Amino acid sequence: MKITDLTKTFGKITAVDAVSFSIDQPQMIGVIGPSGAGKSTLLRMINRLTDATRGSIRINDRDILQLSGREKRRWQRDCAMIFQQFNLVPRLNVVTNVLMGRLNGHSTLKSLFCIFGRHLVDEALAALDRLGIADQALQRAETLSGGQQQRVAIARALMQQPKMVLADEPIASLDPLSAEKVMTALREIRDRDNLTVLCNLHTLDTARTYCDRVIGMLQGCIVFDDVPSKLTPSVVRDIYGAEQELNESMTSTSISGPVFTPEPLRIRKAALA
Amino acid sequence: MTSSTLAIQPPEPITGSTAVFFRVRRESLMIMAGTGLTVLYLLYTFISFDLWHLISRSQPQRAVMLATDAVAHKVHVTKNIRGAGGLSIAVEGERTATYETPPGWVTVSDDMSRVDLGRGYQVDIYDTHVVFQIPDIGPVHVRITDAGIETTLPRGVDPPDWLRATPAKFDARPTIGRRVQVSKARIEVHRYFMGWENFFFPFRSELAGYSPGQLFSLAFSDHRLDPDMANWRLMATTFWNNPGWQHKQVFVALLETFLMAVLGTITAALVGLPLAVLAAANFTPAQALRFAVRRLFDFLRGIDMLIWSLIFIRAFGLGPLTGALAIAFTDTGSLGKLFSEALEGVNRKQMEGVHATGANRLQFYRFGVIPQIIPVFVSQTLYYLEANVRSATIIGALGAGGIGLMLVEAMNTQRHWENVFYLILLTISLVMVMDTVSGKLRSRLIHGRSGT
Amino acid sequence: MSLHAIQTEIMAMEKKRRLYSMAGIVLVAAVLISGYGMANDLNSGGFLTGMKQFFDYPAEIVKEAWATGFSFFPLMGRFVPALVETLNIAGAASIVGGALAVVLAFLGSANLGVKPPVVVTIVRRIMDIMRAFPELIIALFLIFILGSSPVPAMIAVAIHTAGALGKLFSEVNENADADPVEGLASCGATWLQRMRYGVLPQVLPNYLSYFMLRFEINVRASAILGFVGAGGIGMELRRTIGWGKGAGDETAALFVLLILSIFVIDQLSSFIRRRLVTGRDSE
Repeated sequence: MKITDLTKTFGKITAVDAVSFSIDQPQMIGVIGPSGAGKSTLLRMINRLTDATRGSIRINDRDILQLSGREKRRWQRDCAMIFQQFNLVPRLNVVTNVLMGRLNGHSTLKSLFCIFGRHLVDEALAALDRLGIADQALQRAETLSGGQQQRVAIARALMQQPKMVLADEPIASLDPLSAEKVMTALREIRDRDNLTVLCNLHTLDTARTYCDRVIGMLQGCIVFDDVPSKLTPSVVRDIYGAEQELNESMTSTSISGPVFTPEPLRIRKAALA
Repeated sequence: MTSSTLAIQPPEPITGSTAVFFRVRRESLMIMAGTGLTVLYLLYTFISFDLWHLISRSQPQRAVMLATDAVAHKVHVTKNIRGAGGLSIAVEGERTATYETPPGWVTVSDDMSRVDLGRGYQVDIYDTHVVFQIPDIGPVHVRITDAGIETTLPRGVDPPDWLRATPAKFDARPTIGRRVQVSKARIEVHRYFMGWENFFFPFRSELAGYSPGQLFSLAFSDHRLDPDMANWRLMATTFWNNPGWQHKQVFVALLETFLMAVLGTITAALVGLPLAVLAAANFTPAQALRFAVRRLFDFLRGIDMLIWSLIFIRAFGLGPLTGALAIAFTDTGSLGKLFSEALEGVNRKQMEGVHATGANRLQFYRFGVIPQIIPVFVSQTLYYLEANVRSATIIGALGAGGIGLMLVEAMNTQRHWENVFYLILLTISLVMVMDTVSGKLRSRLIHGRSGT
Repeated sequence: MSLHAIQTEIMAMEKKRRLYSMAGIVLVAAVLISGYGMANDLNSGGFLTGMKQFFDYPAEIVKEAWATGFSFFPLMGRFVPALVETLNIAGAASIVGGALAVVLAFLGSANLGVKPPVVVTIVRRIMDIMRAFPELIIALFLIFILGSSPVPAMIAVAIHTAGALGKLFSEVNENADADPVEGLASCGATWLQRMRYGVLPQVLPNYLSYFMLRFEINVRASAILGFVGAGGIGMELRRTIGWGKGAGDETAALFVLLILSIFVIDQLSSFIRRRLVTGRDSE
């Protein structure tokens, strides 16, 4: 996958500014940066939830950004996405939520009447089982805790049989224990299924612990792209701004450290507006 | 968090994927069963309504007729065979709208009359013989003999489907705006013109022939058509008393409908509010009283507007008062119930705050309760007012009068469709204007309240 | 701004507000007094004579009904088919109109990604027009074309229902949470699938609640439209009332039947609506 000159402007504001990078082999990539740096917009453009202003995303000589209609939806299924707010259907039960991962390609009539075959249900249960929440399969999604809901979302992503997984702040709304479970699950997708996982993170130590590669963004531009061990304090200061007297523990969700206050939701929404 | 939700809704023991699958399947089966039952019910109603029979019996040509008559008018050229054999030309065949001298498209000579229907269509009327000239077909001869009506088409022409020729009657309508009918008693030619005839001034009025420009200058002219009044007053009175369109009666009918809705709604709101206080648990401790008032609301609502209307029409006769009272009685129940629910939802703290200042009972309501209840009161009242304009037309049709009754009567005579169309337009305009005004007022009042 | 200035401004505002309230009250009172005066003049029977006769008619039919004794109940039974017809008019109109309202509501909601956006504006105008048309006019027009039958009333009520419910439904849609829809979009679901699973489960309880309320209103409307020739209980009422004296027992039977059914539907619908609302809140 090769991203070239990817740009998104909202009016006068440039959210993502001529970003270019490539992914040659399956790896777990963490995208870090202060809020408003354009991390979410970048991921949403890859999934085609947001249309790019300029640039290209090429996979095997096919430009993802040019797809439309059926082909675009097929691509969206191939690149599963996980959200900070889980984005499940709260009133549906867990197993149906996981089955939603296969709506693409499901016939309209079958979708209208909620008809899913035995093999699909089994597959959904297997995905839930893998994430350790098969027991809650028949509960409504809204009755689950945040961590459980995020694992349902991951099961839904697995159900999509994706070629890559995008995760937009998957642990920002979770308590540290749940966050660890979710990150482990994502890492396992990288190791066991050998898929690329592109994950927006707001905590440096999570990026260090779980990622093979870290991309740092500032004001829409990539300012760092290397292995986590190269993240020196000076680089970190460059990314998060010098005026903020940065202490690593401030941006940590490790269980021992103080609990991080999640990046306010309104900023993420503002970036989408 | 997890444990508390588990306590409310314990997870079902999952013995295997089969159980889950059956639950998913059951859900889809229930959706399908629901859809199926709904479709079945609709089928049943359509069968019980005898839909197929109805469609076969329907008269779509009536819709065409109504649509044509609604936007156009026709002039009849009639020749009676028996009795006086003269030719009469009249708008819609009305005696009051007969031309003294024939219009330009009719020429009358001693032995024949020629009616020019435009675009090459032409009718020549002899004593008992009609020649209908039709483009692309040629002349069609129709003779009235003792044996009946004899129709002769040009050689080699098959009778088209818009032509009906029997010994009893000849009826040809080659286009929607041209029609020739011949029976043993008379010959009748219709020519249609766009627009409503004599909408402003009646046919007989001396004002009927003027153009808008002429009328405008005439209005300010000193030369009086009628020595008793100024020209503009003459115009206004002639328009107002136009017998065909009945502008005065229509206006009064609209006013009546409007009055029914406004008076009925305001009365219901003003009577409903104090009763609502008596029905609200946090204002009226006496349970028996509360129960009685609530049953009164149920009673007023349950009787239904239809029955109230019928009772009031019997007692009060035709008129807006009847409609207003029928609306007032029904909606006192509806609004009273809504208000009492709103009262039970008012914020206790605000009331207690006013109470603590040592306010007397009246002040307590004025400052502690009214400000909270006003938005609900006003918006619900306006909302009911909108609905009641529609209700008032229906109550009118039941016999209370107003525009509804006028409409029903106009439709029942099945003649002046342009009048029906005009009344429909006016009714819808009234409803839409009321909707818009009340919508504006509602948003204004509610936003105005939250703004201050 | 100084404290004093603020105080003066508040006082001025309060004064203005009080003035508006007073003006409003005076206006309403004026409308009421002159309106009732005018209505009384326009009415063929005056208020005072009317008040004296008010109980005559109810008393008359009650007396006649009383005279029939126990055969009153079989009499009521004879009109049950008419009642069923009225209920069917309301039921079919609610279902057809409600189904149309769902389609219109989804196309007329600004937040659901309907393309092109001008469709939303057009559909909203269509709903406004459908709502504005009084049922009576559509019913009369269709009776003229189709003949006296329940179908014209059904269509008339359905059109009004589609407009009225469509507006309420689209308001519910516009308050729906967008996150589930976004989640489904990221899986590659089509627009229809996103609506079916992302929006519908959220809005369905509110839809049902409004639907029940509308059904109750439609039963009343169907009964009234029967009176202008649409069949059902209204038509029977017109027949018995048209006969004048002597049919009071039948009129009374029809009244009782109508009141009973409206009461039952009213109680049922408010029970179901309460359950729908509280059912949602407890979760």
